[in-house]
Amino acid sequence: MATRHQVPGRAPTKSPSEKVRVVRTTDSPNCTGACGWLATVVDDVIVDLKPAADYPCQEYNPRGCLRGMSMTHIIYGPDRIHTPRIREGARGENKWRDVSWDEALDYIATRMIKIRDEHGPESMLLFNQVVGTGYVQKGAQVRTAALLGMSFATAYDFNGDISMGFTQTVGIDCVECETKSWAHCKTAILWSSNIFQTRIPDAKFLTTYAKQRNNCEIISIDPRCSQTSKGADQWLPINPGTDGALALSMCQVVLEAGHVDWAFLQKNTDMCTLVRDDNGMRLRASDVGMGTDAEFVAWDKSSDGPFKLPMDSLRLPDGIELAFIGAREVLLQNGQRIKVTPVFELIQQEVMQPQYSPEAVAKVCDIPAETIRSVAIRYATERPSSIIIGMGINHRLHGDLTIRSVLLLATLVGAHGRPGESVSIYSGQHHFRLDVSPWWFPGGKRPNSVPMHYFVLGEPTKSINPKIKFPKNGFKALIVSHANPLVTEFSAPLKRAIDNLDLFVAIDFSMTPTCEYADIVLPAPTFWEKVDLVGTSCHPYLQIQQAVVPPQYDSRTEMWMMQEILKRVDPEKAAMLDYTEQDAIRIMLEGGGKEVEGITLEQLEKGPVRLKVHDPECGLDEQLHEDKLFPPRAYPFPEGAQREFLKTGRMEFYKEEDIFQKMGETIPTFHWAFEHLPRSAQEMPLAIVTPHSKWRVHSTHCNNPFLRNLNRKPVVEINPRDAAQRGINDGDKVEIYNEFGAYELWALVTETIKPGVVCVDHGWWDRYLASGKYHSVHTYQKVKPTHEAYFLPAVYAPGQHWKDTRVDVRRAK
Amino acid sequence: MPRLSMLIDLTRCIGCDACTLACKQENGTPFDTFFARVLNVEVGTYPDVKRLYIPVLCNHCDDAPCLKSCPNKAIIRRPDGIVLVDQDRCRGTGACVSACPYGNIILNREPDSWYLDEDEPYEKDFVKARLKPNVARKCTYCAHRVDQGLKPACVVACPTTARIFGDLEDEASDISQYVAQERETTQRKPFHLLEEAGTKPAGCYLGPMSKQDPHTLHQTDAIGDAKTAEMARVPQQGAKK
Repeated sequence: MATRHQVPGRAPTKSPSEKVRVVRTTDSPNCTGACGWLATVVDDVIVDLKPAADYPCQEYNPRGCLRGMSMTHIIYGPDRIHTPRIREGARGENKWRDVSWDEALDYIATRMIKIRDEHGPESMLLFNQVVGTGYVQKGAQVRTAALLGMSFATAYDFNGDISMGFTQTVGIDCVECETKSWAHCKTAILWSSNIFQTRIPDAKFLTTYAKQRNNCEIISIDPRCSQTSKGADQWLPINPGTDGALALSMCQVVLEAGHVDWAFLQKNTDMCTLVRDDNGMRLRASDVGMGTDAEFVAWDKSSDGPFKLPMDSLRLPDGIELAFIGAREVLLQNGQRIKVTPVFELIQQEVMQPQYSPEAVAKVCDIPAETIRSVAIRYATERPSSIIIGMGINHRLHGDLTIRSVLLLATLVGAHGRPGESVSIYSGQHHFRLDVSPWWFPGGKRPNSVPMHYFVLGEPTKSINPKIKFPKNGFKALIVSHANPLVTEFSAPLKRAIDNLDLFVAIDFSMTPTCEYADIVLPAPTFWEKVDLVGTSCHPYLQIQQAVVPPQYDSRTEMWMMQEILKRVDPEKAAMLDYTEQDAIRIMLEGGGKEVEGITLEQLEKGPVRLKVHDPECGLDEQLHEDKLFPPRAYPFPEGAQREFLKTGRMEFYKEEDIFQKMGETIPTFHWAFEHLPRSAQEMPLAIVTPHSKWRVHSTHCNNPFLRNLNRKPVVEINPRDAAQRGINDGDKVEIYNEFGAYELWALVTETIKPGVVCVDHGWWDRYLASGKYHSVHTYQKVKPTHEAYFLPAVYAPGQHWKDTRVDVRRAK
Repeated sequence: MPRLSMLIDLTRCIGCDACTLACKQENGTPFDTFFARVLNVEVGTYPDVKRLYIPVLCNHCDDAPCLKSCPNKAIIRRPDGIVLVDQDRCRGTGACVSACPYGNIILNREPDSWYLDEDEPYEKDFVKARLKPNVARKCTYCAHRVDQGLKPACVVACPTTARIFGDLEDEASDISQYVAQERETTQRKPFHLLEEAGTKPAGCYLGPMSKQDPHTLHQTDAIGDAKTAEMARVPQQGAKK
C-alpha cells in the first residue's frame, strides 16, 4: 500500500554509509536499579534505548523505566558540560573560563600539592556518589584517595540512607531480599515505601506476581495516598513520625495473641541472653566462670542451669530449651550475687505497656485500633509476610528506634529468611556485591574515612567516635564527584564549609547547582560512555556497563582523570593506577570473594551473570540457612569488623552500651519524631514529606527536557482542608517556610494527602522554583550520639533526619 | 483476518509513564505531543481516597469515526486492523481530531517545538525526520515495528508487562491466551473504554484487583467512563514550557 510509507516512527531510508550497532549494556544511576539495555547506535549517536530483557531468570524481564529511556536527553541535553572550566568570579557567580585538560589538571595538582605539604593529605576530602553503583570508575577515585592518603566521606551515611536500626539489630545497615522474592508474599506491608515510583523495574513482583498470581494483601502505611497505594488493598494514613508506636502496638497484638515463633527467637536472637540488673550489661560467660567476656550466657530450662551460647554457629544442641522469662539470681565469680533478666522479658515489659495498646496508639497514629489489630494478625498469620521499608521512617533522628521496632515485629513472628518473608530496605546503594578491596585499597591501604557530617558541621562533635581522624588543620580541599550535595537540605551549612576551602573540584556530566559553586569543573562521561562493573541489591546479577559511545564532547573517564592527577601530584605512585577498566574488573573478580568465584570478564561480556548466592535471595540467608553467626559481612570490610557492635552474634534487641542506657534506648521504644525539636519548631502546624518521584533519581533528570515535558513544575501537595484554612486554591503560587528559610512553588490541592501534612517531591533544583531556595527550609543539624558509639564507614556511622522538618504554607504575595 | 489489539491490565499498570516516553522515543514526537498517555485519576475524599492509572492510546476502532470523517481519505485501515493517518495525504483539516471520541488524534496548529539544542545530531538527524509537520498524528501500534515482527515500543518497554499485544483472532497469540487465562484464574473479562460511542475499539482493558481501586469502592464508574477520567484531575498538568 503506497499510502503507508509515511507512518510516524519510520525513519527515512538509511544511506549505506550509516553504521548501525546494537550494544548490550547496563546503566548505573543512583536509583541502583542496574537495568540492562539495548542501545541502538548510528554513526556514534545513541538513537534508541530498549530494555535488554535478557536476564536468565525470566521474571526479571524486562527491566527499565522512563528515566533510563530518557537518558538521550541528558547525554545530548542542554546542561551537559562540554569542556573543563575554571571559575572567573566569586564562588557561585557562575562565570567561567573554558580551559584545556592540561590547564585544568595542573590547576588542581598545584593546589593539591600545596595543601598536602602545608596541612597533610588528610585535609583533602573525596565525596563521590554512590560508590556501590559502579565499582571501577568510582573505585579509581577511592584508590587515588588511598594512594595519596586523602580523606574519604562515604555518601551513604550523609544521604541518611544508612539505616542504623538495622545496624544496631543485625549488624549491617541494610538487608534486602532480591525483588523476585516478593512474588511469594501473601501479605506485604509497604512501610512508607513507594515502590511504584522508586522501584519501577521491580514493581511487577508486587502487581503481576504477588497480587495477580498470589492474591497477596498489600498494605500501604503512608501519610500520603502514594502512587503505590493504587495497587494496595489497604491504605493506613498514619500521622508522620509515629510509625514506631504503630510497630510496637503491632508487637503487643502478636504477643497477646501468642503468634510468637519461639524456635526462631531462641536460635537467632539475643532474647534469651541475660541482662544484669546492677549495670545493665549483658551477662558474660566470664562473669560466671564459664568462658570469656566475648561469650554470653542464657538459662537452660532442660538442665535448669546456665548455658553458654555457641560463638561458632547459631545452631543449638538438641533438647536445649532456653528461658525467655524469669529473672533470677546468679552468683558471679567474684562472689557477688546479682539479679539477671532475659532480654525477652524486658521487651515484653516495654511492649505490653498500656501506652502501646491499639486503643492508645490509635490516637497517636490516627489509625483505628481494629485496623492495627487486623493488620498485625494478618501479618503474623497469612504467610509468607514481608515488610518493605521506605526512607520516610528512616530519615529521622529516631528512625533507628522505629526500624528496631519494625524488626522486632517481624522477628517475633519469625518472618525472615524464606521466599516472600523478609524486612527489606532498598537503600543499600553501598551494598557491595563483591569485595572491592583489591581494586580500591592498593596493598590494603584505605583512605582516611570521615563522615561528611563532620565536614558540614565544620568540626567534630563532642561525642565523635575516636576512630574518626578529623584532620588537625580542618579540611582545605573537597572533590565532589557524581554528586550534587548542594541540592540537599543542609546545603547552606555545606556552602559555609566550602567557603573555608582552598580548593573545591566538581566532577559531573551536567552543570548542577553543585558544579556552579565549584572552583573548577571537570566534564565526566555519563554511564553510557564508560566501562564499569555494576551490581545492585535489587537483583543478583552482575553486569558490565559498556562504553556504548565514546566519552562525548571533551569529557574523560574518572579513571583517566585520576591517572593524570596522580601523575602530577605523586608521580612515584602513578604506576599503582596504570590499569584499564578491564584490568580493574579482573582484579575485583579474582579477589572479590565467594559470590563471584568463577565469574569471568568474558562471561560478563556475554550478558548478566548471577552471583553465587541463594535463589531466591531472601536476605540473611547465610545466617538463617547456614547457621552462620550474625552479622552478614559488610563488604568491603573484613570478616569480624562488625563484631564489636553485634557482640552476641545474634539479632540484638537489647543494646547494652552506656550511651544507649543513658538515652533510654536499650530496647526498642517510641519517641515522637519531632520531640527533639525546640518547642517553636514543634508548633509549626505542618509536617513535610519529601518522597522520591519517578521523574528523577534524586536530583538527576531534574533538568531532563524530555521528562520535564510531563513533570512541568514543582508543586506542594496539600489537603483541601489545610488549603481552605489558608485561602489557598489549586494552582496558586504559595510559600513554604519555617525558621530557617522559605521558597515559593505551586499548590496542588489534593485529597490524597493527610491533613496536617504537605508533600514536595525531593530533588528539585532551585531554578525551577517560583523563587527562593528549596533547601533553605530544613531542620536542625545534629548527630545522634548512639550513632557515634562505634564507627565503620557507611555501616555504623551517623544517619540523617531530613524528614523531621516542620513548616507552614501561605499564599505567595 | 487478523485483528491486532492491545490489552492493558490495570492490575499490573503502575502508572510509571514508561510507555509514554517509549512511544515518544520510538515515534520521534515533538514537545507536548503524546500518542500514548497515562491518565492519573484520584477519586473520593480523604481518607476514602483512591488512585487509578488509565493508559490511553488510539483504539484502532473497527468502525473508526476518524476514518469516516476525513475529507481527504487520508485515514486508512490495514487488513490487520491498524488504523493509520497517511502523512502524505493528510491536509490537516482536523476533522478526525473532532471525530475521535477518545481524544487520541493530535494536530498541532503551531510549529513543532523540540527538546534539545538545534544542532544536536540526535534530534536534528535522527528524530525530527520521523514525523511530518502540520498533519494529524496518532498512535500506529508501531506499524513500522509490527511489519518487522516486533511488538510496539510501549509494549516492550512496559516494566510491569501490563500491555499485551497480538492478534485477537489467533487463539495461540499472547493476547488471546492472556484473556483466556485471566477469565479462568481471576475471573476478569476485558472491557473497552466508552463502549457506548459505538466505534468498536480494538484496545481493551482488564480491571484492577486491589481493594484500593475505585471500581471496588463503587464510588464512581471511572473505569468504564473515559470522560470521568478525562475530567478527573491529572496532577502533573501545569503551565506550558
